[in-house]
Amino acid sequence: MDIREQIAENDRIIEQLNRELAKKSTEVRIIQQISSEINSTLDLARILQLILDSMDRVLGFQHCMILLKDESEEKLRVFASRGYDREGVGAEVRFGEGVIGVVARRKKMMRLGNIRSSMNYLMAVRAKMEEAGQLQADHVPVNLPGLANAQSQLAIPLLVKERFIGVLAVESPQPNAFDELDEILLNILANQVAIAIDNARMYQMEEGRRKELDEANAKLLRLNESLEHMVKERTAQLERAHAELSTAFERLGEQATELAAFNRTLEQRVAEQLAELERVGRLKRFFSPQLAQLIVAGGAEDPLKTHRREVTVVFLDLRGFTAFAETSEPEEIMGVLGEYHAEMGKLILAHEGTLERFTGDGMMIFFNDPVPVPNPAERAIRMAVEMRERVAELVAKWKKRGYDLRLGVGIAQGYATIGAIGFEGRWDYGAIGTVTNLAARLCGEAKPDQILISQRLLGTMEELVEAEPVGDLSLKGFLKPVSTFNVVRLKG
Amino acid sequence: MGVLPDEIKPAMEGVIPAHVATCSLDGTPNVTALSQVYYVDADHVALSFQFFNKTIKNVRENPYAVAWIISPESFDSWDLELEYDHSETSGPVFDAMDMRIEAIASMTGMTGIFKLKAADIYRVKSAVKNTDERIPLAAIDK
Repeated sequence: MDIREQIAENDRIIEQLNRELAKKSTEVRIIQQISSEINSTLDLARILQLILDSMDRVLGFQHCMILLKDESEEKLRVFASRGYDREGVGAEVRFGEGVIGVVARRKKMMRLGNIRSSMNYLMAVRAKMEEAGQLQADHVPVNLPGLANAQSQLAIPLLVKERFIGVLAVESPQPNAFDELDEILLNILANQVAIAIDNARMYQMEEGRRKELDEANAKLLRLNESLEHMVKERTAQLERAHAELSTAFERLGEQATELAAFNRTLEQRVAEQLAELERVGRLKRFFSPQLAQLIVAGGAEDPLKTHRREVTVVFLDLRGFTAFAETSEPEEIMGVLGEYHAEMGKLILAHEGTLERFTGDGMMIFFNDPVPVPNPAERAIRMAVEMRERVAELVAKWKKRGYDLRLGVGIAQGYATIGAIGFEGRWDYGAIGTVTNLAARLCGEAKPDQILISQRLLGTMEELVEAEPVGDLSLKGFLKPVSTFNVVRLKG
Repeated sequence: MGVLPDEIKPAMEGVIPAHVATCSLDGTPNVTALSQVYYVDADHVALSFQFFNKTIKNVRENPYAVAWIISPESFDSWDLELEYDHSETSGPVFDAMDMRIEAIASMTGMTGIFKLKAADIYRVKSAVKNTDERIPLAAIDK
């Protein structure tokens, strides 16, 4: 080789070196560009698409795929691909199967440029073994994603801090399609890809976690809101309850006031009633209870006003009283009268008779005034019979003391003029008329223990009374004799 | 600077089978087609030991061999003078070759049957680019 040839050869080598240098620097720039693009996004799908686009468009790798290992650590799954009729995403490669599977198992890069020749060679060996019956049935060729007629394949494990996450693979139907420079390029790229994928995955995990947190937060917020709502509702309920209570309390206050007022009026009324009772009590001592009641009540009709009414009048006195009074001490007389009046008084009250007056042993009682009563005559007779029986008991007692006293009664019925009799300073309630006179006269005629009644009265009381005739008596103040009867007993 | 130039690498990807000539101790030559001569570094190549065959037997008796490799891109071919150095059953060279065989085996349903026993490492004594025309063994068979 002469000097000129040597120079030409040197020029050629320098030119080639420059070309290679230019190519390398371009590729390094491209890789830098890809790297920065990869690192600027955290969306895994976008990253992988970006990588494959760049590999095809910029570096001329027309058929490439990224496979990620699944959790079983036994399989890879095509996650993204470019340059295939069908994308083949999701296709599986088991660890140890094909170039990619072996790379996954060994976690080492592999570059093959003679796949078809090698396979042809092996298939020939296989055919011979099959002929010889040396091959077992389970040894069958596998179907792998990728080109059916791939001659060259370059597969690089994606490792993050020694941790295997997947495979980056390129392939070509051309033999020897990839050289050592491609190995270096893809190695650099694979490192970036692995880190980016890992970051993206972590980011996705974080995103997932963040989403979970957001959801939890939202739930918490909703819970808080509903709690707030519940608290509000409860507060409102409480307020309503409080208002109701206040109203009830106020009503109670009003009621208490009313009650207090009522109590006061009650006191007043009780006081008034007590006063009235007192008045009645006082009046009763002088008047009959009925008259006293009427006077106190102050009814529409003034009972003291003179009026005319049919009444039954009863006169009674003690036979032998005048003689007794003349021979006895006043204290004895008052004692006998006291006993006698007390017993008679009880019976008058029991039969609702009106005691008009009593004079010593004599008493005048009438019925049907001032308060009208039913059956005044019957009442008068029954009272008289009871009086006779009662006095008989007293007589037995008196006899022991030596007093000879017996009861005599006269009863008459008819119209009388009744009202206040007297003068300013002293008024009595009195009945004036023939009926009074007749009763007094009959009483005067009555022998001891006799109850004398006119025939006229007996006529109305025949069913009640068993009587005996006494005869026709000539009575003072009466023109004709009065047919008189003595009440022996009551019938039945 | 090693014996093997960079431009030879495409010829060592196994696209076009290589031919290897060996000789037994008693002087019997053997030429065979081999799927791939692996590039180890600029001074070494590796041949796969999968089945015990004449080539394996010969180089263990007589370490000298010649490999004819062809580039599928330029169809340039080279004669490599080789001397068997040692066998590896682990390490990066073995692993790389083993992976390739495993990958191809798995694709043809031959997993566990077709596998690398060892990587036979040869020192490359010379690499000579051919200018003459040769007929590959396959053509002779026809």
